Amino acid sequence: MNGRPKTEPQPTACQDDALAGLREILRITRPDADVELIRRAYDVAASWHQGQTRMSGDPYITHPLAVATILAELGADDQMLCAAMLHDTIDISPCTLAALSGQFGAEVAALVAGTIALDQVKGNLSEVLAAVRSADTRVLPIKVADRLHNMRTVEFIAHAKQLRKSRESLDIFAPVASQLSMDIIGAELETLAYATMKRNRHARSIPGRLLIAMTALLPVAARTRWCEEWLGELHTLPARRARASFAIHTMLGIPRLAYTIRNPAPGHRRAG
Amino acid sequence: MKYAVKMTGPVQHVLRAMLEDAAVPRYGLQISKQADLEPGTLYPVMARLEGVGWVESSWENPDLSIKDGRPRRRYYQLTKDGAEQARLALAEISDRREKRRSSLSAAQPSPLGPSL
Repeated sequence: MNGRPKTEPQPTACQDDALAGLREILRITRPDADVELIRRAYDVAASWHQGQTRMSGDPYITHPLAVATILAELGADDQMLCAAMLHDTIDISPCTLAALSGQFGAEVAALVAGTIALDQVKGNLSEVLAAVRSADTRVLPIKVADRLHNMRTVEFIAHAKQLRKSRESLDIFAPVASQLSMDIIGAELETLAYATMKRNRHARSIPGRLLIAMTALLPVAARTRWCEEWLGELHTLPARRARASFAIHTMLGIPRLAYTIRNPAPGHRRAG
Repeated sequence: MKYAVKMTGPVQHVLRAMLEDAAVPRYGLQISKQADLEPGTLYPVMARLEGVGWVESSWENPDLSIKDGRPRRRYYQLTKDGAEQARLALAEISDRREKRRSSLSAAQPSPLGPSL
């Protein structure tokens, strides 16, 4: 369920053109796809989202189309592709589940309802993760693809929201993606989330950049933790001089830290 | 007694600082100040203590950092076992130091030789 062509279709005013990219992908991953049904789902979604725009300024319909395209690359079935096209119609337009059920069948409506139900899960991380993991296995890929496209366009939303989405992507969606064998998507989610979290003023400062660069000496699995920890510490230091001094002294300790992490509990002989 | 951590000077400083109020989680810079250690010395010590389970660390509640739009802080705290072991180890060290001092003042060379 992985492997993804590099281009994303850019919908235009002409619907046939808008779906050309998706159709091209389906020709390879799902030659038996009901393209006519999927086109109908696109038309219905496009009419509900008429006049709505993304934060990027793009017509809203570009988002469900992109989500469906990501899923098409994974070889998702017709119902999932329709549900992906329609997944936001209930939330942000007057469309109802009953209407979707009437037009596309109960299965598609249930998948859309499933994605909405997941949005409403609240609680601490382990509760959310448990709810997400127990969700319908056909709903999860839709949510993961939804999140992937949202992370690809995360730069257009408010900074605080970017951080929250990134955190969720790392804590919830990337592990779920791996669990679903959507490894490439999981990896892209992680990369996007880390890139976003590093886009703050301390990460861009000279001490921040030095520290980030020096974490290359640490074992891969430990880099993000220490990177994030040190950027957090930099933030607590008000004076530029103190930040520079912190960065230099911390860097001097990185080789020793790397050794310690690689040998967490070496045997030693106590002197005396 | 043999401990999981080699009780070097910096390790002792960190443990003393953290034992002052073992229940309070602190972030690296706070410990660095209290233990009077440069960060380059501190973090490897923290990694060592965490590696042997004397200390555990966790991220602060992300809602706080997200609200302020800043990176999360990592907080360290002694584990129950860690605090116990640390107290024993530190007591043993001051004991030994005490003995040495008294043996020196009695002008008798220690039969074991210098112990540190």
